[in-house]
Amino acid sequence: MVHAIFYKEWLKLRLVWCLAFVIHIGLITYLLLALRATLLSAGTVETWATMISRDVLMINQLTYLPLITGICIALCQWLPEMQNKRIRLTLHLPIDYSQSIGIMLLSSLIGLCLLFSIDAVTLSIVEQLWLPRELVWRTFITCLPWYIGGFIGYNVTSWCLLEPLWKMRCVNFLIGAPLVALCFLTTQPACYITMWPWLLVVLIATVCLPFYSIYRFKLGKQ
Amino acid sequence: MRYIKYLIIALSLIVIAWLLPALYELVIPRTDKMPFVVYSCLDSTFIRFESSNKQVRYVDFRGQEFSKAQADSLLPLFAFRQLVAEGRLPDSLYGVALTPKLIQQNAFHFKTSPKQLNKPAVGLYTLLESASGRVDLQLPPDVFRVTTNGLEFIDCETNKVNKAKSLSFSRELTKHGFTFPVQLIWGNSTDANDRLFQLKMVKGVPWVREIKTDNTNGWKQVFTVEPANRQLIGLVVSNDDQLFAVTRDGQTVMVGIDAYDPQQMQITIVGDLFHWTITEYTATDSRYYAVDAKTFEQVACEIVPDGERPLAQRIERWLLPIRLRFTSWRTQLIQPNINDD
Repeated sequence: MVHAIFYKEWLKLRLVWCLAFVIHIGLITYLLLALRATLLSAGTVETWATMISRDVLMINQLTYLPLITGICIALCQWLPEMQNKRIRLTLHLPIDYSQSIGIMLLSSLIGLCLLFSIDAVTLSIVEQLWLPRELVWRTFITCLPWYIGGFIGYNVTSWCLLEPLWKMRCVNFLIGAPLVALCFLTTQPACYITMWPWLLVVLIATVCLPFYSIYRFKLGKQ
Repeated sequence: MRYIKYLIIALSLIVIAWLLPALYELVIPRTDKMPFVVYSCLDSTFIRFESSNKQVRYVDFRGQEFSKAQADSLLPLFAFRQLVAEGRLPDSLYGVALTPKLIQQNAFHFKTSPKQLNKPAVGLYTLLESASGRVDLQLPPDVFRVTTNGLEFIDCETNKVNKAKSLSFSRELTKHGFTFPVQLIWGNSTDANDRLFQLKMVKGVPWVREIKTDNTNGWKQVFTVEPANRQLIGLVVSNDDQLFAVTRDGQTVMVGIDAYDPQQMQITIVGDLFHWTITEYTATDSRYYAVDAKTFEQVACEIVPDGERPLAQRIERWLLPIRLRFTSWRTQLIQPNINDD
């Protein structure tokens, strides 16, 4: 049953995942080419000096991509299920409803994790050819809250979409949107190092939220 | 599901404790204006530049108000350009013949705040050539990192460690009694085992000297400050919050001010030929000092306690007893702070 649900999610979302993969790889390639062009045109010495002394990392275009991906995946996953309340079929599978929803959520979280890891690994490996490890690490820890924002964005969007009542959807959005905003409070590099444990707590907390919406759905809240 | 309900309530409370104060501040923005203050060597008093409604008032701490022209006359070293234009610059002051060049060479400005200092360091530094033969400083072809065993220079073009240069600079430091690892580094001054060192590159060759000091309490902060008169190479702060000037001849001299904690206070130094005006903003007061520019001894001091908080802030404290913020005036790091106004 677990495999079947995973397979069903893959069939439903494969096009979206492929599109997301192409966009992510495309943007990472663009960022790396732009960095290479700057190193060649402005000079390595000048570019390194700017990156060190002026807190520049040249990855700003990446900021909201993980968040947009997380929200889009949640929309494509749950909107068809919520149309005409098709999700009822899933809730009637011969396994516990929270387990089936959990597997659906997990499948997307694993997908996001893979996608984000490909981004981070590609960026780090290629940057290492041109930049010292300190700047590569700085780039990585600067991106990390944006990727956590992508996961939180997915969880919060799922929470809002699975909620059966419009009024509560608005309340969920009002609570969820600031939690997403927590990951985007500064543009300064590496300034989230002391915030990681808190962001992880928020991430874990938001994973639980869609279960409450589906519980209310199951109760028949209209 | 009951636990998830509690979790949602907890998250809502966190969001409310964070967003309401932010919203309050957006609607009623804070207007903490810090006046600019300079010590007048002629009047032996501090003159405050208070700007309000696009107008600047010049007042001293006795409440006496001056016109712009009077303020210029009282601050000849600060307003020398204006005085030169008006032909009012004194020929000499305290036996020193005044020229615009002399005044300019001895003027410097230094400002730093906890927010500027409390941010994640990159861990890479540049060591500029001090005898390049050019007037302007030029970027070196490499940067260096500090490791547990020494300095490591990385060539920018190849992104590889320049072993010969790394070894030569690390050896030169060790030869002068430097014990790795480095504890503090700022500009071209480094420090280990609570001893201070100056490191320079002269025609590609390392140049090291130990800075002599009476301080036995160790150092918490090092700043590179190099005014045009070359009297100074830096400022250092000891672990017991005492500010020292590092003079050109490699000595530290205690600056005659009370405690300065770089992690908690904002400091501004306006230096001229005869005096430094040092302004410190703490969480509870503003402190103004004038110290002699040669001996660094205190000449004048005014401590002004912060008045009662503005009405808007008092209302905010009453309305919103728990105020959660993730940004702070103390640091660039994002972290939760409760009631940190």
